[in-house]
Amino acid sequence: MTNFRGKWFVIVLAVLFALSACGKSEESQQPGPAAGGEFNKFFPKSADGFDVVFTQEKAGMAQAKLKKEGKDAAMLTIADLTGNPDAAGKFKGSTAAIAGYPAADSGSMGTAVLVADRFQVQVRSTDSSFTENDRRLWLERFDFNGLAKLK
Amino acid sequence: MGLFGFGEKESIADLISGLSSSGITVLSLKSLDFIVPGGWNNYTNFDEMLRALTRETDDAFLQSVKKRAIDLYNDKSQGYQTAMKIYSRVDTADKALGAAALTDKLSEKISLLSFMKYLTPKADTAQAIDLVLKMISELLAFTKINGIPGDSFTDFLAALKDYSGESKIRMAALLCFDGLIPLGPDFVRRGMDILGGLRPSELSKNKTFSAISEYIPGANADSKLSFIRTGFDAVKDWMSGFISQNNLSANKVVSNLKQYVDVSDDKLDYLAAFVDVFTNYFEHTGTQTLAVRLIERAVNEV
Repeated sequence: MTNFRGKWFVIVLAVLFALSACGKSEESQQPGPAAGGEFNKFFPKSADGFDVVFTQEKAGMAQAKLKKEGKDAAMLTIADLTGNPDAAGKFKGSTAAIAGYPAADSGSMGTAVLVADRFQVQVRSTDSSFTENDRRLWLERFDFNGLAKLK
Repeated sequence: MGLFGFGEKESIADLISGLSSSGITVLSLKSLDFIVPGGWNNYTNFDEMLRALTRETDDAFLQSVKKRAIDLYNDKSQGYQTAMKIYSRVDTADKALGAAALTDKLSEKISLLSFMKYLTPKADTAQAIDLVLKMISELLAFTKINGIPGDSFTDFLAALKDYSGESKIRMAALLCFDGLIPLGPDFVRRGMDILGGLRPSELSKNKTFSAISEYIPGANADSKLSFIRTGFDAVKDWMSGFISQNNLSANKVVSNLKQYVDVSDDKLDYLAAFVDVFTNYFEHTGTQTLAVRLIERAVNEV
């Protein structure tokens, strides 16, 4: 009986220790939004006559223009939703997927993908000749798997 | 209060609503429309701007974009408010006098003669310093808005070549109103010469410099002057190119301004002083640039 109680005591101590370690590791993994410059390497490269030109780079966001023959066609954005969780709501009711990741419309001109429940990747048409199919094609060119591993 | 609510004081939406839709600043900028034909919309309503830039019509979606844009501007760590201060401070010297003198004068074509008593043309050195500091302010505001290091001359130069709309008209006004008209067709070289001979102690006495000094990299006037020289040197070819590509001359610019100001061609220094005192084109279009960048970002984050 004493031995049995002793075993439980050890198990309870071990569980408490593990829980407290979990708490610590969660704290250390939430340093705030990722730096925008971290995102640049996950963007697609210029292709098919389109140039990818980086514009804004802020804490938790990087943005580039997609230009064809000097004219704006679309905006490409990776945003960390850590400080803006409401944006993830649109993916809840959506069954669509792009490259295996949840996808949703963002207004009538944008298509967005949610990566690792944290990063939103969006392609938005700024010229009407850039269609929804174009947006999906360019979304598939992002490195979602690489982005998903970003801490 | 805007269509979608959010009427907090000094929000980016309020700053846009506070811009004039008429007056000397707007008329002066419109006189340069031939450089950006139809490319500059003088937005003075944030909700209208939001619809035009996003091309969206759903009110709930637009409301979420507006909220995000306002939040981003309000977050000081994002740098947008610093950019606003730079645009505003570089443009505020001697404006109070201008506003007072202009009351009741806007309904008719303005005669420069009637304003001569309020105007003192700047000496070339002071004018060249103003030109240079406005150019550097554009660089500093650009880096704050876009989140890149303050000495990113190459990135800035690449962006300048891609400027459009309100940003391009601001640069056109800078080169015409603070360069071409007061300093003449070789204003870039004159600016470089004056800057080359400038002592840090002279720079320190300049009012415009004092207004934006804290945002210029460097521990003292000496190192700030060195930064200013490097920055201005980096854009000198772009400035000359802008003038030649748009076939700009003082005559051409003045003949457009004459649509609303009566001025004789031998009084160009007074015309430059007039535009300096009675307009805030840098702050006006700078506010619009901030709103454009915030909307472009917010619509991609909601």
